[in-house]
Amino acid sequence: MKAFTRKHERSVSATLAAATCALLGTTAVTPVDAQEEPEWDFNTSLLYYGEDEGRVQDASFKSIIRRLYTDDRTLSLGFTVDALTGATPSGAIRQDGPQSFTRPSGSSSYTEPAGELPLDDTFRDTRVAITAGWQQPAGEKGLLSVGASVSKEYDYLHTGVNASYAHDFNNRNTTVSAGFAFANDSIEPVGGAPIPFTNMLDVDDTSNRVGDQDKDVLDLVFGVSQVVSKNLLIQANYSLSQSDGYLNNPYKVLSLVDGVTGDTLPRTPGPNGGPSGQYLFESRPDERTQHSLYTQAKYYMNGKVLDASYRYMTDDWEIDSHTLDVRYRIPIGDASYLEPHIRYYTQSEAEFYRLSLDGSSPLPQYASSDYRLGNFDGITAGLKYGWKTRNDNDMSLRVEWYQQSGTVPVVQLIGNQAARDNYPDLNALIVQFSYRFSR
Amino acid sequence: MKAVSGIKTICVLLSIALAPLASAADSASEAFDLGAHEGKVVVLDFWASWCGPCRRSFPWLNTMHAKYEQQGLVIIGVNLDASQEDAAEFLEEYPAEFRIHFDTDAVLATEYGVEAMPSSYVIGRDGELKTTHRGFKVKEQSEYEAILIEALGEQP
Amino acid sequence: MLRIVAIFLVLTCTGCTSMGVQPWEREILAKEEMQLTVDPLEAATDDHIYFSKEASSGGRGFGGGGCGCN
Repeated sequence: MKAFTRKHERSVSATLAAATCALLGTTAVTPVDAQEEPEWDFNTSLLYYGEDEGRVQDASFKSIIRRLYTDDRTLSLGFTVDALTGATPSGAIRQDGPQSFTRPSGSSSYTEPAGELPLDDTFRDTRVAITAGWQQPAGEKGLLSVGASVSKEYDYLHTGVNASYAHDFNNRNTTVSAGFAFANDSIEPVGGAPIPFTNMLDVDDTSNRVGDQDKDVLDLVFGVSQVVSKNLLIQANYSLSQSDGYLNNPYKVLSLVDGVTGDTLPRTPGPNGGPSGQYLFESRPDERTQHSLYTQAKYYMNGKVLDASYRYMTDDWEIDSHTLDVRYRIPIGDASYLEPHIRYYTQSEAEFYRLSLDGSSPLPQYASSDYRLGNFDGITAGLKYGWKTRNDNDMSLRVEWYQQSGTVPVVQLIGNQAARDNYPDLNALIVQFSYRFSR
Repeated sequence: MKAVSGIKTICVLLSIALAPLASAADSASEAFDLGAHEGKVVVLDFWASWCGPCRRSFPWLNTMHAKYEQQGLVIIGVNLDASQEDAAEFLEEYPAEFRIHFDTDAVLATEYGVEAMPSSYVIGRDGELKTTHRGFKVKEQSEYEAILIEALGEQP
Repeated sequence: MLRIVAIFLVLTCTGCTSMGVQPWEREILAKEEMQLTVDPLEAATDDHIYFSKEASSGGRGFGGGGCGCN
């Protein structure tokens, strides 16, 4: 529940004078003004996200505008624009020699130098996302929220609705909440969705491409939050996420390799260009069920606030993950703060995660070499500085470093692969500037 | 419900009767004496500087004070801030036309069994607790005012 | 799995009825920095970044704490 927060500095003598007047019951000669409640709340930010080694870079403008009505009713509108450039691993493995690939569009090809991690740099994309939400009290102890979201990028359209309800118990010390979100996303891959486990074909050959795909995602959240003491608040949530439909990444491939050497089986590219090796488009199940348990604590210690959370996730793709996130907010004077932040993430690989596919063995039912489904640790370390402007508005700047390092299960390494650095480790810089003001 | 409010009124009257016997009540403010307003309609409004709806209720309470003071309405804003300085700061920005009583140790709040912030207790001319109002909602203002008018209309 | 979840929620709830503070003791809980999600913009940004780079998503909840007013 949102709270009254604005406080202003006043001289001590002035406050004591006011207090004395009030005690004696003298009526101050002040007109009965219409008090000015803030009606609007603007929260905006500029974000830069950049990975190293020519990989993904993202510049984003984000804003949430809230219109506050009487009696704690709120309308909120969110708007985000992202501009993405840079390359992303295609899923093919490094080779000692150069490799060539057909671009997802099918209209041209690109080469990767010897020994380099194959990256597909086709993605120059702009994404626009809009959210709308309405929140209002329900009865004396309840809070109801409903909302909708839409986002669009070149090859992807998301539409969704959500609703949630929270109810207070025990003199508002305990809050129980339940919510759901339903999304329908449609994917129109550049060049068409490739049939899973078919080969990457030559330029201008889109015979293995089919039309648009879609998927449905249902999320359910149940939570309990509890005031433990004047300084301590804790929360625990259980979430269920059910995805059905097209869950593949249409642009990712796996290298088909020799069963002994582990090198990619060669192929002669067509006259207009094409793959120099055998690369198969990935195949994921058309269903995924995820369970998450999330707990959070907020602890106030003499002006400083510790915010710690832990999340455990497990799903039927056999991915398990743990996330530990700790922030420590230290006030500096009355008008600014410093907040160091550390996040530790670890996940185990999906059951069908493969570094490559063995050409001498039958194909598994599903396979993907997407590093996001692999076994890796991620560490984020950052610092945020926030301050109040002269007009009593909030500004903040945070700089964070995110590093992922993963490992391929030893049993999957074939021949020459064992000597190479196979996992596309990630190093990213995050810089975000925020400005928040009320009117 | 009536039994509970009846018991509460008895407790209040008892504590008023016994107040002179109590040693050092509120250290930083005058001792609370409901008896000083006998025959009037008393509104005890429990508030704190960090409470948003409390801030929103002040203009309305000021209006009620201006409108009905002549007819015998006494509004007492009982402040529950742990630090009186916070309350004083708040009052400078959102002045109150009505009386303020500092209940820093929450003695009155406990006595009245305050369950929500803000809470107001309307005590009639006969000294009986008439209504308990939890929270402050703009849409309930006219309904609340009607209760005050009714209480003011009664004979002590 | 479901059994673990049920036990988890029950354990979280037992003792909830006896814990807590009086309505007038919520000054610290009312502070902006003590809300479960202090900066919704930053939270949404992080959710999106980690959703794009990892296999897990969301989990965060809503509601609770605060001034407890109205």
